[in-house]
Amino acid sequence: MKNGFRQSMAWLHTWTGLLVGWLLLLIFMAGTASYYREEISRWMRPELPATTVSTDVAAERAVHYLQEHAGHAETWFVTLPDPRNPAMRMFWRNPESMVKPPVEGERRRRGGGRFGDATVDPNTGDKLEARETRGGEFFYRLHFDLHYIPVLWARYLVGFCAMFMLVAIITGVITHKKIFKDFFTFRKDKGLRSWLDFHNVSAVMALPYHAMITYTGIVTLMVMYLPWGIKAAYPTDEDAFFSEAFGGMPEVSAPAEGRAAPLPIQQLLDSARTHWKGVDVSGFSVAHPGAANAVIDIRQRDGRRLSVDTPALRYDMVTGTLLMESPASGAATATRGVMYGLHLARFADWGLRALFFLSGLTGCLMVASGVVLWAVKERPKHAKSGRIGFGLRLVDALNIGAVAGLPIAFASYFWGNRLLPLQLPERADAEVSVFFYAWGAALLAAFIWPKRLMWTWQLYLGAALFALLPLLNALTTHAHLGVTIPAGDWILAGFDLVMLAFGAMLAMCGWRMQRWTPPLSAAEKKKRAAAAAGGSAVPIEAKA
Amino acid sequence: MMLLALGLSFSAFTALSLAMEKHQLDLHGKQAAPVSRRRQWSGLGWVLLGAAFGLSVVDHGWAMGPVLWLGTMTIAGLLLAFGLYPWKPRWIAPLALALPALGLVAALV
Amino acid sequence: MATFSTGSDAINRNCRITVDRSPSTANTTANTRLATFFARPGWGVFSRSMAAIFGGYALAAVTSVFCALALPGARGQTVLTGMLLAIVVCACAALWAFATRTALRAWIGILLPTVVMAAVARALGAWA
Repeated sequence: MKNGFRQSMAWLHTWTGLLVGWLLLLIFMAGTASYYREEISRWMRPELPATTVSTDVAAERAVHYLQEHAGHAETWFVTLPDPRNPAMRMFWRNPESMVKPPVEGERRRRGGGRFGDATVDPNTGDKLEARETRGGEFFYRLHFDLHYIPVLWARYLVGFCAMFMLVAIITGVITHKKIFKDFFTFRKDKGLRSWLDFHNVSAVMALPYHAMITYTGIVTLMVMYLPWGIKAAYPTDEDAFFSEAFGGMPEVSAPAEGRAAPLPIQQLLDSARTHWKGVDVSGFSVAHPGAANAVIDIRQRDGRRLSVDTPALRYDMVTGTLLMESPASGAATATRGVMYGLHLARFADWGLRALFFLSGLTGCLMVASGVVLWAVKERPKHAKSGRIGFGLRLVDALNIGAVAGLPIAFASYFWGNRLLPLQLPERADAEVSVFFYAWGAALLAAFIWPKRLMWTWQLYLGAALFALLPLLNALTTHAHLGVTIPAGDWILAGFDLVMLAFGAMLAMCGWRMQRWTPPLSAAEKKKRAAAAAGGSAVPIEAKA
Repeated sequence: MMLLALGLSFSAFTALSLAMEKHQLDLHGKQAAPVSRRRQWSGLGWVLLGAAFGLSVVDHGWAMGPVLWLGTMTIAGLLLAFGLYPWKPRWIAPLALALPALGLVAALV
Repeated sequence: MATFSTGSDAINRNCRITVDRSPSTANTTANTRLATFFARPGWGVFSRSMAAIFGGYALAAVTSVFCALALPGARGQTVLTGMLLAIVVCACAALWAFATRTALRAWIGILLPTVVMAAVARALGAWA
């Protein structure tokens, strides 16, 4: 059939894009925000001071804290502060014998009490005293764990959507006949043509990114989606797969009898730095702290390689001898590491991170323009009957609720952070609820009245919520632009400025939506052209 | 270095767009360049793109260099297609000259 | 743009137009009515979608097992390679399901490699 292939790929592109487009919008927006989750977390805890101590002092305080609060743990895991995140996070695993059954009525801890965690202020060595919030981590988790549904279901659903997205990308490229000719083409103010051009350009300009982020996203959870190879190749010992495939250090043997004092942490960290010729440390784990055979695995700082697997060195904590280096990875392990690393972009410095963020936003624009494009294309078919069919009405409502409603939700989350009482119990969950209440309200309003005016209102509301955030910030905290710009705190100042930028962009969209007029019919255009040309003597009979 | 790579990518994309008849008509109307001239623009564009690639790799290595290069192309392309060609086509040529110059200054300082 | 037809669907539709609709033949057998119902283009799309989604996943799953057992090298590495390839295979299966001429070819094109790879994997010790 002539053109059958391209035609069927076009059909497939439309439906793989449309059916999951709104969920993809959520995933893309939350994922894009995650590039700055550390910065968002900092903005959402303005009480947090910037770190003024060195990595070594921070490490010392971490070890001290853990010796006091997790002295009997089997393993410690510490992430040291860095310029993007001034707090120290630590986890520990208690031995089986220490696990207490949950007290009647008390909420069961995740992991059943086997694990403990703390966020410590490196300036004081004590647990962090800042408002309870999930910060940027909420967005990170949202984009693959979703919310309100079991995590496993969410990940399968997200994987399903990601697969649809991958097919949409491939079919999109196949269908786009003039992909090189139309590379820079965006014809504005031409209705359907403009929407198509916008969708095409936003897709093509960041095409390597879109393909990469979708494929690597699936890769991050591929062990969950395709466990069959493991079961086939490791029928009796699946655990061996994880140690063989994901490299890393082998398990440490059981603790030795007897305790021994470990060397000062600074000395151990310095040994690592010397071995790595000056490259700094990002964190460390300790197995059997306090025992005679305690070992410490010291991890290298991110930023020197794409792979998520950073090199590590294992030292004996008591004698300080280097026991082993992280083993060289097999080809597939290294490939998977790079895929995973590209998705997380931990290696990215401020410039590269900004580029990733921009590409993510472009992805959001691509998905948004895609779902809107479908509605714009579909609408003339309903003009004859005068009524909007069920499908189009549904799509219109979802479009408004997602494209205009999600920004409202995101901004509301930040408003909640500044306005909710600091001592509110379950405060972090309350902030998350604000996000979903706001989104729910936007969706409901969109379903009740899916018209252009609703678009305008929601876009303006989103614009206001974003643009007024810096003002709210100034009224509720001491970390507003008046303080952060003179202090050169570009993380906090940058956040406020980006909020202003988003507000401006949404306002512009709302304004254009408000001023939009329906395109003229062909007859109308002819009449106006004739009138402009001076008009003929014979009046033209206008056929509307 | 990154700003210079960004400037070069922008100029490269400007040159490559000028190699297309459609954009020649956008910018110059009746004085659109003939095919031979457009081929020169195409050549220049690819050379500049290669320079941006080389710069990114020299500065950030073979792993992160290409990633950075792709990012600069994304910005350059979006700026041209969504910003300049529709609304401010007269700014394109000056920017194509100014941005790499500014980038060079930033790299040397 | 929502219009889409495969070769055989178009042929079926043409056949329907020439079917005798006179009352004397109103007592058509259940078979012919069923055939007519299933000849609607919607069923082709549904069938292909099932092939793409479920057949595609089956093909991907079997690919990962096949690679894990048949590729040379360490177990851990071949398992990972299988997973990385399987994702691409799944996407390709979806494309095949809609690009090929009939829904039947869609199913065959996906199930045949699935069965072949499954047989080889079984021979190599999978699902023992």
